[in-house]
Amino acid sequence: MTPPVLDIQGLSIAYATDRGPLKALRDVNLSVDEGRIIGIVGESGCGKSTLISAIIRLLAPNAQIVQGAVNFKGRDLLGLSSEQMRALRGDEISMVFQDPMTSLNPTLTIGRQMADVQHRSTTSRPEKNSRSVGMLERVGIPDPEAQLKRYPHHLSGGMRQRVAIAMALMAEPSLLIADEPTTALDATLEVQIIQRLKDLQRELGCSILFISHHLGVIAELCDEVVVMYAGEVVESGSLRAVFKGPKHPYTRKLLECDPARITGRTRELPVIEGSLPNLVNLPDGCIFRDRCSKAEARCGIEPPIMHGEGHRAACHLLEERQESSP
Amino acid sequence: MSALLSANDLRVRYPVRGGFVNVVHGVSLNIKRGETTAIVGESGSGKTTLAMALCGLAPVYGGEVRFEGDLLHRDRKNRLNPDRRRVALMFQDPVGSLNPRMTVRKALAEPFRIHKVESVEPDREALSLLDKVGLGAEFADRYPHQLSGGQARRVGVARALALRPHLLIADEPTAGLDVSIQGEVLNLLSQLQQEMGLGILVITHNLNIVRHVADQMAIMYLGRFIEQGDSGQIFTQPRHPYTAALLAANPSPDPDAQASRIELKGDVPGLLQRPPGCEFHTRCPGVREKCRKSFPEASTDGESRQYHCFYPLGD
Repeated sequence: MTPPVLDIQGLSIAYATDRGPLKALRDVNLSVDEGRIIGIVGESGCGKSTLISAIIRLLAPNAQIVQGAVNFKGRDLLGLSSEQMRALRGDEISMVFQDPMTSLNPTLTIGRQMADVQHRSTTSRPEKNSRSVGMLERVGIPDPEAQLKRYPHHLSGGMRQRVAIAMALMAEPSLLIADEPTTALDATLEVQIIQRLKDLQRELGCSILFISHHLGVIAELCDEVVVMYAGEVVESGSLRAVFKGPKHPYTRKLLECDPARITGRTRELPVIEGSLPNLVNLPDGCIFRDRCSKAEARCGIEPPIMHGEGHRAACHLLEERQESSP
Repeated sequence: MSALLSANDLRVRYPVRGGFVNVVHGVSLNIKRGETTAIVGESGSGKTTLAMALCGLAPVYGGEVRFEGDLLHRDRKNRLNPDRRRVALMFQDPVGSLNPRMTVRKALAEPFRIHKVESVEPDREALSLLDKVGLGAEFADRYPHQLSGGQARRVGVARALALRPHLLIADEPTAGLDVSIQGEVLNLLSQLQQEMGLGILVITHNLNIVRHVADQMAIMYLGRFIEQGDSGQIFTQPRHPYTAALLAANPSPDPDAQASRIELKGDVPGLLQRPPGCEFHTRCPGVREKCRKSFPEASTDGESRQYHCFYPLGD
């Protein structure tokens, strides 16, 4: 078997704050195999953004990598010089951000920006333009040649995001990181973009790390899913296994809360009681303990570790079930 | 039940080079006391402008609006002037709609000062409002940046309800909130609605929440309601193809759910280039010759259901 494109091992990251180090990521393990689409699900403050900034090495200045490794095709990204890293970004690893308006330069034409991202290629400008046209066509932009002369503000939100995707895929990267790429779009455009991403991934064979808090979008697109809570991976596995049979109480609650899952009309929507733990003074034991309805004495003492093969989850209550069933 | 707010053929337009852009293009609706009405539509469909017009923050150039039976007059700038004590507004961005230099206490006491309500002691009232939205007194001295999105949203709810309004207009009340907190805010609103008999107008593009909170709904496209009526009926049997496409475009979190998508071609046309005939015909999967030529007037199904389509679904 080919090694994973991206393999994150035991990654811990803390931010220096006035109150002491804020432990934003703790012992995160994650791997992305070739040609797979991995979804990261989690609510605000779960560490999704810290994780992707660590992968592309664009962490805030007060962030400190406590330990761990980010292996990309066998190289540890955390050990690369900033020049080496720059050579990788936009070539082997690309990103699509949440807001297409802020990721495109408002003062340059689409054509100029798309030629600029090909700066490493030695081909002539007309050749670059024709590649741009080809890519715009693939992401489903009508009349791509005319678009090259237009500015971002001429395009609608959905078109801009498609341009951003086209630019990200221009270099045919091995890994595409998409951070909530459809959040700013409306329902009918959202499904269009997801369908495009799926088709393009199949054509180009790249891997995608897809971040979203929209469970429906994750279910539609991803092969595997990683659930994060307060800086830790609490569950991971194939999409079907996790969404159909969630093991971790947090995942279960999160799925229950999604109003799309509740078929009958209800005035009383389910919620997750309590709030995120303080990441400066971490509680002992399980990170989800305070909000878990099934917490036992043990959950307040030692932190659970990931259990299971393939479909894994970090919960003490699972160990018991496995021990009792031979 | 009597109508709390009724709008008839409401129009909002803005001048642009060489003419006008019609953002709200002849909208009629009735909001009842104790009921929630949802307006659904994609960005740029005119939802927010409609809300702004109803509470006097956008100029109106046609149509009439009655609030509790009284006709609202337009001021010099063509804005409606509802009694702001009876109509409250909640804006999209929960943190951005609070003054960053005001503590929560001050922000909550402000409505009483502005409207010179002398019967209450504003600071004490602020605490009781906090309690009502489930926040402790310790939040009173915090500044907006010290609040989470959900907490700021609760403060927004408290502030909107301070003067015991009869109508609450909530623009995307859960945008940017996590699903677990989204439920909290919606539950709070429906609880307060029951206690106060409040009429609520919710503006959103999240269909999943509409299904749970709305009694009535209207689907907006290019500034018009293309379908409106009882939300339960619309969810079970949409008549307009755009409504059907919107409902089907809602990605399901169930991996086994067979996506029965209705693919819409292309993008929403710009407001400056309104298509002739039925304005949805450029994207409609069931478009026919007639749709390109003439505009479909409103058809009705029973009392409460209205739509604009020559060839409605389910016929």
